[in-house]
Amino acid sequence: MAKSKKEIISIKSISKIYHLGDNVVKALDKASLSIYENDFISIMGPSGSGKSTLMNIIGCLDVPTNGTYKFNNQLISKMNDSQLANIRNEKIGFVFQTFNLLPKLNAVQNVEVPLIYSSLNRKERLERSKEALNIVGLSDRMSHKPNELSGGQRQRVAIARALVNKPSIILADEPTGNLDSKSGEEILKFLDKLHKAGNTLIIVTHEKSVAKRAKRRIEIFDGKITLDE
Amino acid sequence: MNDIIKNILIGLSAIRSNIVRVALTSLGLTIGIFTVSIVTAGVSSIDKEFAKSMAYYGNDKLYVSTWPWSFDFDWWKYRNRPKVKEESLSYINQYSEYVTDVSVKKNTWIKATYQNKASWLQINGVYPSYGDMLSGTKVVNGRFFSQNEWDLQRRVVIVGGKVREGFFDGESPIGQKIKIGGVTVEIIGELKEQGMGMVPGGTLDNLVIMPSTTFKRILTRWGFDELVLRAKPEDLNKAKEEVAMIMRVARKLRPDQEDNFSVNSADAYQSQFDSLKTAIAAMGFMVTGISLVVSGIGIMNVMFVSVKERTKEIGLRKAMGATNNNILIQFLSEAIAISIIGGTIGIALVKLITIALSSYGGLPVDFDLLLIFYTFIICVFIGVISGMIPARTAANLNPIDALRHE
Repeated sequence: MAKSKKEIISIKSISKIYHLGDNVVKALDKASLSIYENDFISIMGPSGSGKSTLMNIIGCLDVPTNGTYKFNNQLISKMNDSQLANIRNEKIGFVFQTFNLLPKLNAVQNVEVPLIYSSLNRKERLERSKEALNIVGLSDRMSHKPNELSGGQRQRVAIARALVNKPSIILADEPTGNLDSKSGEEILKFLDKLHKAGNTLIIVTHEKSVAKRAKRRIEIFDGKITLDE
Repeated sequence: MNDIIKNILIGLSAIRSNIVRVALTSLGLTIGIFTVSIVTAGVSSIDKEFAKSMAYYGNDKLYVSTWPWSFDFDWWKYRNRPKVKEESLSYINQYSEYVTDVSVKKNTWIKATYQNKASWLQINGVYPSYGDMLSGTKVVNGRFFSQNEWDLQRRVVIVGGKVREGFFDGESPIGQKIKIGGVTVEIIGELKEQGMGMVPGGTLDNLVIMPSTTFKRILTRWGFDELVLRAKPEDLNKAKEEVAMIMRVARKLRPDQEDNFSVNSADAYQSQFDSLKTAIAAMGFMVTGISLVVSGIGIMNVMFVSVKERTKEIGLRKAMGATNNNILIQFLSEAIAISIIGGTIGIALVKLITIALSSYGGLPVDFDLLLIFYTFIICVFIGVISGMIPARTAANLNPIDALRHE
């Protein structure tokens, strides 16, 4: 681990507690974690281990019950909904297992979605979206709708969408889970490339083969981080 | 601002992809807007027509008749009243302080012919002074008959503005001869065209005016007489009481006997008309109110469906950085758009009906820009009211749950 690198995320002793009727569920139990620039991290753990909760908190979709979460030295754990939305918009790129493309929009329009909530004008948005599609090698599929694309292509559109706002981290939740092994391999190679280009990546997965691609592996069990190497 | 427009555009694109559903939903509003427009336009048209009729009766005239002017006419009560007679005029002339001019007005309806054309016309027999007492119209061609022509029972007539069109293909009627009840009369004057009136007998367009002496000589059939009296408008109410007193004296009524005649003036119609108008408007607005509420519920329902359908999209947009307000505006503008589409179709329908009615020549319906403006306001209002709850539901969705939604 290259500790000399700039720290992007600093998580200190965070817990997430859910109350389901009389039951108290500790989805995260005093987990601590630091993520540095150009890290390539995999987070593994069985279902119910708290890895989704951890990912949601890292992705600023949720805030911890206790503990502190700093993103570029900004205290996320005390932010309100619209401040969180701004952080997500500017700092975080999401890649989902089921791609989550909007079926009625074409590739460029899908990539443009995060930019709509930024302050860019129409022309800039279009330029940036085309540029991002270029990076994922889909410049010839700009006006195709998701149902006219293969699974691998869809996920590449989704990756372009995650890249388009030039985020500080890219958060990929089971990015190969819905793909055949060939397309999955293609996507993983591409993520490798992104890492080499200087991006910070976090992949949540339950496949060992996927996790092995990362430079740093984190395992989580019962809400606690059990491995970080 | 730019931010708002972007979210409105997203909302509008949802309309385009669900056009059938939107059309069906907005139908309720179409009907609502249609009703309110028709009622408003109708009432204001009736109002205008009525004002025209009122101008015909004049604000300076009293009409002594057998019957009161009333929409709820109780024939049984008045049927035994004696006829109004021309002779009463001499009493009024002699005793009235406020009445400045008088004329008899003999009324009948009869078939008039010109060559092979025939038409039912209203015939009035009047004094020469009636020419100066005309209100709401005037002689625009030719002249009124003279005292001399009245004395000599000459067969000369003044015709209403529609007679020209009916008998003479739009040519001037002056100097033409028509037959009234088999008697040939010469047209010496023409009145300005009035358009349709709202009150029975309230049009001058299908009218023939002749000396009352001539009337008595050539038309001895059915009909009735009225006395037309003129006073200064400010004295009209005093004149009304005065004339009633004189008529009672002339008819030798005892103090305990009711009037067996009526002194009428335009304001009698006005108050009755106002209550009728209110009734029509109240009815129309009730129908409108109901259809607007129902259509508001319809829009709310469709918006809930829309939010439900697009839960995942909402989650995704929120993950990509959409704030609660972004989502709120997106769905609100969708609801407002549905509402405005309904209203626009409604207005378009009204416009079509207006065009159809005016070319058909029926009751003319007014249509103005103000109506469009009000419709727009109503639509936005209904859109906001019915879209607010679904849009808030969408805005407050938790992005994690929304993303997981299938």
